Amino acid sequence: MSGKKQQVFTPLYSPNRSGMIFSGLVLVLILFFVLDLFLGSVSIRPGEIIKAIFHNSDDITNTILTQFRLPKAVTALLVGIALSISGLQMQTLFRNPMAGPYVLGLSSGASLGVAFVILGFSADLSPESIKGFGNWAIAAASWTGAGLVMLLIMMISSRVKNIMTVLILGIMLSSAISAIVSIMQYFSNETMLKAYIIWTMGSLGNLTASQLNVMLLSVLIGVILSLISVKMLNALLLGEDYAKSIGLDVRRSRYVIIAGTSILAGTITAFCGPIGFIGIAVPHLARIIFRTSDHKVLIPGTILAGAIIMLASDIISQMPGSDNVLPVNSVTALIGIPVVVWVILRDQKYRDIF
Amino acid sequence: MRNRIENILSFKDLEIGFRSGKHRHVLLPPLIGSAGKGELIAVIGKNGIGKSTILRTFAGLQALLGGELTIDGKSVAEFSRMQLSAEIGYISTEIIKVSNMKVYDLVSLGRFPHTNWLGRIDTADHNVIIEAISKTGMSEFINRPITELSDGERQRAMVAMVLAQDAGIMVMDEPTAFLDISSKFEIIQLMHELTRSREKTIIFSTHDLTTAVSQADKIWLLKEQGLIEGAPEDLMLEGAFKTLFDDRKVQFNSNDGSFTIRNDEKGKIVVRGEGVNKYWTEKALLRAGYAVNESESIVEVEVPSPVNSNWKCKTPGSYQEFDSIFKLVNWIRDNDFIS
Repeated sequence: MSGKKQQVFTPLYSPNRSGMIFSGLVLVLILFFVLDLFLGSVSIRPGEIIKAIFHNSDDITNTILTQFRLPKAVTALLVGIALSISGLQMQTLFRNPMAGPYVLGLSSGASLGVAFVILGFSADLSPESIKGFGNWAIAAASWTGAGLVMLLIMMISSRVKNIMTVLILGIMLSSAISAIVSIMQYFSNETMLKAYIIWTMGSLGNLTASQLNVMLLSVLIGVILSLISVKMLNALLLGEDYAKSIGLDVRRSRYVIIAGTSILAGTITAFCGPIGFIGIAVPHLARIIFRTSDHKVLIPGTILAGAIIMLASDIISQMPGSDNVLPVNSVTALIGIPVVVWVILRDQKYRDIF
Repeated sequence: MRNRIENILSFKDLEIGFRSGKHRHVLLPPLIGSAGKGELIAVIGKNGIGKSTILRTFAGLQALLGGELTIDGKSVAEFSRMQLSAEIGYISTEIIKVSNMKVYDLVSLGRFPHTNWLGRIDTADHNVIIEAISKTGMSEFINRPITELSDGERQRAMVAMVLAQDAGIMVMDEPTAFLDISSKFEIIQLMHELTRSREKTIIFSTHDLTTAVSQADKIWLLKEQGLIEGAPEDLMLEGAFKTLFDDRKVQFNSNDGSFTIRNDEKGKIVVRGEGVNKYWTEKALLRAGYAVNESESIVEVEVPSPVNSNWKCKTPGSYQEFDSIFKLVNWIRDNDFIS
């Protein structure tokens, strides 16, 4: 029914085009997920994967798959989804194409929260020893840290209209937060410090099953909040005044969006460490692919694109066929930065457009 | 005449301005006024007097600091944000720049108060959007990204968005500010049509007094002393506009609502002749700083007529002919013999 009315005015906008892209992306996502499972330092043939899935054996292949690669692939999926949505929401909320959880200091804020928990309260809270409630404590601390940074950036960008100035202030903010964390490290004892340093080195592969559960639930909450925010985000594209005049309760929607963004970005930072440039780059890719500003399309589009990019980054970081593993941070930076540079260099007259 | 126009918006003792901390900055003395259904109302006043503030107050973007403001007989305080947006649409001077947003997308955002939590556009919404787009003459631009529209097209797209919002009142802050002459008249024409045909009430601010006087049903003139309300012609007869501008520099012409910049008068020139040639010759001489009159003067100019094609200029002791106004005025200026 919706197809009938839309084809009246545009072939570009037709649900067929978006629908085809969505189906294509889902296929690519499945492909990359499977590739991520059997490419790695130990190569596993597709046949063995199928065997391992259907026969519950105890051999080494099975162990590698279920204990290491599956959790890691799921983590990559969640990281991609969470960081990309949080980036999209920040870009719309601040009306700033350069916004992202990493560049504007949400990751630092989350780190500070984690530092408070690990360095401030208990030496026993190392990633290995944290079980159950401890994971939620870490998650909640990083949500709070990320949320406070979000509120600060919100205040800054309501006063400062210039996109680049906001960016510079965001970088200042992250540096200040890093400085606080350094001071906390200086005053903490050896055990605490070790626990914290191990956390900062966190990657996609170090998650325990219980951490993965916390992450899965948190990302789910964040995704639900982002779906609730679709209409608000569309209104906010027009800026605060127009959003109000067409009927949006701007204050309330800001809180919903800030909560969702903080939960998504905070959770990922809490369990995987700071991962840069996915949050800022993927929304732009989704805009290029779908050629729309409508968050009804952009949110699911960003979810798919983010998951695919993060799985691809993970595959590259495993360096199939060799024993080496690259830090996933570096891979995401090398994929994301060209996109960001392209956005900056794009036609100068569109500089202040997102 | 008993069939009074029904008031859709009215305000009494309205205090506008802004709050910072505990301080209230009230811009103007308490204001009184009302807008009838289907009226086109121009808000006029000097820069910084509070035109934008009063419009933003109507649109609910700024709290009223005092007095009462009622829409459809109901105090604005009783409206939720969503309910208010179904009554009042607003267009500011801010230019919306969003990449990948097409005209249709922009206009569909006007349906915000009427759609579900996801903002889904159903067939009824779609029809309203299409109607708004065609009403504003934007049908051929329906898929154009808004960043690629000209100023006039973008303004029409904004009007379409507010039309899709389906509110009875449209508040527009300087809708013609960035526009070239033809776009300006298109927008004014559109506003005129909307107030006539669709029973919309449009309240707009403008610096263009000539347009306001010729097009608006009613003028709200903002001055330091308060708000003066009335038909443009009434205000004209009362001389209300005269104090708006510095009389020494600008001369307001009460006959047609036009302005002329007043130059120091250098002298008097008699212009003889008829029709369009005379009209433009006089304009040029006025601009050059000369007063034009019909009586005697030592300088006489005769404009081209069917029997000759040149401008003739007689002065004591000289006679010149020119083939353009430009040359005529330059010659008079250069010789500067009148004091």
